[in-house]
Amino acid sequence: MIQTRSRLAAMLVAAALAAGLLAGCAEDKEPAGGASSGGGVAAADNPFGAAAGSTVDAAIFDGGYSTDYVDFAAAMVKDKLDVTTVVSPVTDVVQELQPRIVGGDPPDLVDWNQLPPQDLRSQLAPLDDLYAALNYDGVKIEDAIVAGAKATGTFNGQALSVPYVLTLFSLWYSASLFEENGWTPPETWDDMMAICEEAKAQDKYCFTFGKEAAGYWAWMVLEMAIKEGGKDVYLNLANLKPDAWRDPALVGAFEAVKDSIDKGYWVPGGQGTQFTVAQAQWSQQQEALFYFSGSWIEAEMADATAEGFEMTAWPAPTLTSNPALPFETVQLSAGENYIVPAAGKNTAGAKEVLRAMLSKEAATNFSKTRMAPTIVKDTVPADGWGSTALASIMARAEASGDTALPYTLGWSDQYNMDPSVIWGSFLGGEMSVEDAISQLQALSDEAAADPSIEKMAYEW
Amino acid sequence: MNCPGSSAAVVSHRARGGGRRPRRRPRPGRIAFMAVFLVLPLSVFAVFEVWPYLQAFRLALTDWGGFSADPNFVGLENFRKLFSDGLFLKALRNSCLLALVIPTVCLSIAFAIACLVTTAGPAVGRTRGVRGAGIYRVVSFFPYVVPAIIIGLIWGLAYSPQMGLVNGLLRALGLDSFENFPWLGSESTAMPAAMVVIVWGTTGFYVVLFVAAIKGVPAEIYDSARVDGAGRLRTAVAITLPMILENVRTGYIYLGLAALDSFVFMEALFPQARSPNYATLTITQDLFQTAFEKFRFGYATAMGIVLALVTLVYAVIIFSVFRLVRGREDWKEGTS
Repeated sequence: MIQTRSRLAAMLVAAALAAGLLAGCAEDKEPAGGASSGGGVAAADNPFGAAAGSTVDAAIFDGGYSTDYVDFAAAMVKDKLDVTTVVSPVTDVVQELQPRIVGGDPPDLVDWNQLPPQDLRSQLAPLDDLYAALNYDGVKIEDAIVAGAKATGTFNGQALSVPYVLTLFSLWYSASLFEENGWTPPETWDDMMAICEEAKAQDKYCFTFGKEAAGYWAWMVLEMAIKEGGKDVYLNLANLKPDAWRDPALVGAFEAVKDSIDKGYWVPGGQGTQFTVAQAQWSQQQEALFYFSGSWIEAEMADATAEGFEMTAWPAPTLTSNPALPFETVQLSAGENYIVPAAGKNTAGAKEVLRAMLSKEAATNFSKTRMAPTIVKDTVPADGWGSTALASIMARAEASGDTALPYTLGWSDQYNMDPSVIWGSFLGGEMSVEDAISQLQALSDEAAADPSIEKMAYEW
Repeated sequence: MNCPGSSAAVVSHRARGGGRRPRRRPRPGRIAFMAVFLVLPLSVFAVFEVWPYLQAFRLALTDWGGFSADPNFVGLENFRKLFSDGLFLKALRNSCLLALVIPTVCLSIAFAIACLVTTAGPAVGRTRGVRGAGIYRVVSFFPYVVPAIIIGLIWGLAYSPQMGLVNGLLRALGLDSFENFPWLGSESTAMPAAMVVIVWGTTGFYVVLFVAAIKGVPAEIYDSARVDGAGRLRTAVAITLPMILENVRTGYIYLGLAALDSFVFMEALFPQARSPNYATLTITQDLFQTAFEKFRFGYATAMGIVLALVTLVYAVIIFSVFRLVRGREDWKEGTS
C-alpha cells in the first residue's frame, strides 16, 4: 500500500474534518443493541422485518474480490422482499467512511475488510440474531457456516462482524516440481531440512521472504509451535499472558527456523526485496521451494507463476514427531468482515442482504467467480472447478476438520506496533532468537498493561 | 495569535499612509481586488488550514479512536506518553537526522554543480561555465521532474539485492562481496541508502535555483576577482557563496521541512513503515501508522503537533544561524 504525500494531507484533513463533526453530533444516537431499524414487520421469511420498497446503502470494499458478488445477493433480496440495495465500491474504507460514521450517518451495510477496530465496535449492531436466523436454504446460519467463523467476529460475547471469505494460511509449493524430483512434501521439520539440503545441492533455496511480508512466516512459526505445544500456546499469546512468547514449543520453533537461516536455506537479501519479487522467486524462477501465505497467493501471482506449477497448499511441518495437535491441523481464518452500523437507517435490510449472502446460491457464486471459499459450508466441489490451489484448500480444510486454528491474525492487532518488523530482522539474520522473542514479548506485555486497549477473552 | 483579518487590516492601513490623509471610500475595483486576492484565499486558508490545526490541538488532548463522537479528554497524557514511546523517539531522531543531513548534502552538491555550470569555465574570455554546461544543467534537473513516489519505487528496485542495478554495478566493478547485499534491508545501510535517493531526487531543483541566483550576480565582480588572481574554488567560496546566501538559506528552510516530512520517499522505499528495526522510520510514517492502522487518532495528532513544533524550531535555528553568518557580511546592500 503506497500513499502519496498529497493523499496523506487529504486524509489528515478529512480526519480533522470528521473530528470537527464531533461537536455537533452527539444527539439522536440509536440505542445500540436495540431492534433493527427499517420499519417493516418481522415474519418467517423476513426475520428482521425489512420494509418492502426500502433501500439498503451498502459500502463495499473494492479490493481483490471486487463488489459484484454483493449485487448478486442483493438481487436475491430484491426478488424476495422488494428491498433495493445500492452498492457503492469503496477503496479506502477507513478514510472514506470515517466522516460518515463520526457524523452519525453511516451506510447500512459495510464491508470493512479488516476486523472492526475498538472505537468502531461500540457503534455496531450486534449480529447474534443474524446467526440465529435461517438462511435462504432454510438452514440456521450458525450451522451453515464453518466452525470458528462466528467466533472470529465475536468480541467479548457479542457477534459484531461477519467474516465472509475463508482463507487458508499455509505453506505453498509446486506439486509438479516435487514430483519431478521425487520429493514428498515434509510432515516433520527434520524431513523439511532433508529436502532443503537436497534443494541446496541443486542450487535452490528452501524459503524466501519479502521486506513487506516477513510477517507471513510468523504464521508458520506459530503453527509449528501450537501443534507442538497444544492450544495453550495459542491461548496464552492471544490473551496476552506473561511469558506467552517464551513457551518452550515457541522457542523450539524459533530455533528451528533460525537453524535453517544459518544453514543458508533462505534466499539471501529478503530484507531488501520487494515482496512480489520475492514471491516470484518462488512461483516464477522457482529458486525457492516453499512460500508461506494466505490462499490469495494463487490470484496474486497469477501473472508470475511458471507454466504447470500446480500451486498446492501444505500444512506447516511438526517440530517433533510427537506433537500435541496432529500434523493435519491448518490455519483457516475467516476474513473480509461485514459490519452493520447501529445508526444505519435500514439495519434490517442490511442483515437481510447478509442472510442472502450466507445462502448457498450466493456463496457458490462468490467461490466460483473468485476461486476462493466462503464461510458457507459445502459450496466448493472437490475439484475446485479445476484450480489446484482451490482444490487443495478444500482438501486441507477437510483433513484438518475441527482442529483448525481459529482466527490467525486478529489478536496481534492489540499490539501497539506491527510485529512484522521484528520478523524481518529475524529472518534477515540480524536478530537472535532471544532478541526476537523478548521484543515480541515486550509488545505483548505493553498491550496487556495498556488500560486503553480493550482486552479480549479468546477461547478455542 | 493575530487573526489573519486583523493583520491584513494593519497592512492596508499602513499602505494608505497611516490615516493622515482624509478617508476615501474604496473604489469598487479595489474592493473586488481585495475580495478575490485577499478575502477568498484567506478564508480558504482559515477553513482548510487554521481551523483543522485548531481542531488538532483539541484532538491531541483526547483519546479519540477515530469513530466515536465523544472522545474522552485526557489532558496532556498523549504528550507524556510520546516522550516515553521508544518508537516515536526513534522516529524523532531519524527525522532530525534527515533534516540535518539532507539539506547540507543536497545544497553542497547543488552549489558545486551550479558553480561548475556558471563560473568555473575557462580562465580566459568572459566568465562562464564548463564546456557543455547547458547539458549538465538540464540533466541535473531531470530527477526533479519525476514524482517522488516513482523515484522511490525505481530506487527500491535498483537496490534489490539479487537483480538490482546497484549490486549489478558493484559486482561488475569486481566487488563480489556485495552479491545479494540488502541495502534497504540492513539496519546500518538503510538510512544512508534512503538519503542517497532523497538527495538524488531533490538536488536538481536547487541547482536551478542557484544558477538563477548566480546569474544575478554582476559579472564585474567575477572579472575583478579573476584579475586579482582568485582561483575557481576561491571564487566559489569567497564570492559566489556570500552573494547568494539568501538563496542558500531559503534552500535550507525548504529542504529541511521536506526532509522532516520525507513521507513519500520513505513509504515508497519501506512500505507500511517497515524498515529494518525501524532504522528509517520518520515521524510522518509513525503518525500515519498510529492513526490509520492502529486507530489512535488522539495520540497520532499529538505526534503531528510535536512535528509542527520541531519544524518551527528548525526554522528558527536556520534563521538564527544565517543571521550570525551574515553579521560579517553587512557590506552587502539591503541587509543587516
